[in-house]
Amino acid sequence: MTAQALRIDRELERLDGLWEDGLQDTYKSYMDAVGAYEPAERPRLALAAALIESGLRLQGLGGRAVAATPLLMGDLCLARASRLLADHASQSLQVAFARAIETMSANAASGDAGGPVRDFLVLALENGR
Amino acid sequence: MIAQRLRFKTSSPTQFVDITEQLRQEVRRSGLRMGRIHLQSLHTTVGLAVNENEPLLLRDFESLLERLAPSGAGYEHDDFARRFEIALDEPVNGHAHCRQLLLTGFATLLVENGDLVLGRWQSVFAVELDGPRQRELAIQLDGEFEAEKVGQPLPGAKGSKAAKADQELVELELTRQLLADPDPVAVPMRRLVEAGGKRLRPRLVQLTAHVGPRHDPLRAAALAAAVELLHNATLIHDDYVDESTHRRGRPTVAAAEGPERAIAVGDFYFAKATRLVAEMGNGDVTSTIADALEAICAAQIDDVALRGAYPGDHASYLKVVRGKTAALFAASCASGAQLSEATPEEVEALRRYGDLLGVAFQMADDMVDFSPSSGKPVGLDIRQRVLSLPLIYAAEDKEVGPEVRRLLAGALGDAEVSRVTELVRSSDALKRVGDEARALVEGAVRELEAIELDGLRPTLIGLARSAVDRDS
Repeated sequence: MTAQALRIDRELERLDGLWEDGLQDTYKSYMDAVGAYEPAERPRLALAAALIESGLRLQGLGGRAVAATPLLMGDLCLARASRLLADHASQSLQVAFARAIETMSANAASGDAGGPVRDFLVLALENGR
Repeated sequence: MIAQRLRFKTSSPTQFVDITEQLRQEVRRSGLRMGRIHLQSLHTTVGLAVNENEPLLLRDFESLLERLAPSGAGYEHDDFARRFEIALDEPVNGHAHCRQLLLTGFATLLVENGDLVLGRWQSVFAVELDGPRQRELAIQLDGEFEAEKVGQPLPGAKGSKAAKADQELVELELTRQLLADPDPVAVPMRRLVEAGGKRLRPRLVQLTAHVGPRHDPLRAAALAAAVELLHNATLIHDDYVDESTHRRGRPTVAAAEGPERAIAVGDFYFAKATRLVAEMGNGDVTSTIADALEAICAAQIDDVALRGAYPGDHASYLKVVRGKTAALFAASCASGAQLSEATPEEVEALRRYGDLLGVAFQMADDMVDFSPSSGKPVGLDIRQRVLSLPLIYAAEDKEVGPEVRRLLAGALGDAEVSRVTELVRSSDALKRVGDEARALVEGAVRELEAIELDGLRPTLIGLARSAVDRDS
């Protein structure tokens, strides 16, 4: 992992308005959940978790299907989180996050609510250390 | 005549590397029945020898070389103060060069009935004299080849036994992965995977995984399957966005099982594919695939946004296609090469090849929408207002353009779609797109010129050309 400062604006390219629409608060809430990681890693990991949570929320995973635009914005959130993790997170954390999304989407496909997204992602942060 | 390179890594300063089995494999793979295999060391401190592979004897050889050309014996070659233009990492290796003089740098072995002609105790050695290092031998095979293998020196040549074996490995891996998944996501994905598809992206992964020195068919198949799953995951969301009812002749996931399920299945396989890639433990490969996924998703947003200005223009078309289609072609080529530890130059050349091929492939795909013999419903792209270069060119045409634009601006029923199709065919739009796609393919082929590809080059060239000259 690198110690480069996180440029939030660069990571939010093409996701206009999302930061103000709740991503910022979600990001701050995950900053509390990444305390066990190195200080330089925390902002990117918190942002990756926040992007996943926001992406799944945009897509309405487990609820009623959303329109094309929020679905695609959600895809971009997930893809950006995946890239952030690929470039900056350990292999075990990448795998833990991916497994969390697999579990949540398999639950959704089965019609099972399965619990809050945050719980899965916080567990992934713990398992991926 | 087939030309190849044999790459290997040595682990000690002096080492007798037995390459007999690798040469036998090359002979079998090439289909050479009667002829010769020529070997040439590409290094001044690697020799070749044919002798017995008996450990104590090999130690005798090492001792002999040490006696004849002792290390540290004051070689003038090692007096850097008297030499010009020496590299910063120039080794002290006068002894190794002198030892190589005592061996040979080239050899020819006979091949009969598809096998090397060697005596009972004979083995072929590449002799490392200044290791450990990455090494390379040039190989040429000439003589009489099995008819079906002529011109198909490496796995991946279309229709060859090796290509079929590669393809089977991917199919097995896809089946294995889908068996492990819960039914609510696995069943719809299995239906899509089993419906076919060209499997071009996994094929590119498997082919380019031959480029570097670390080719592992099983790892290449695992990466290829992950890439195919990722591609299919993007299709599932695309089909929902495009309101498509059929894909590969079967109902789409959204049409068959509802949009909620389609979103969940797409998400599941986005995540699973990235996990499978991450589990391979190659950071370069992981980053390459992640970058491609991001480019695909961004381009999909652009694609939908551009539908308000349908049919768009050439620049916006290229921007979308580079992301939606070419990004995964480029990533397939680059990641296969990265997996085999190809050099950065090779990876980047293959990435550019994949990018150009991907754009050309999409142009050819656009043309299929106007072909009555493709087996697909003609005019589907028009009906769904999908970005299409023939439409863009027809809309720009002086003669048919005004009518095309007028029709596309209104509701598109059967009559309108049929008329637009007719207008596109009557213009030179399809010819322009075909010419442009072929020019891109030639550009892709030129990207391959700068790198060493051994026998892989004809396969990659053939694959690129056949991706464009197709009717389905």
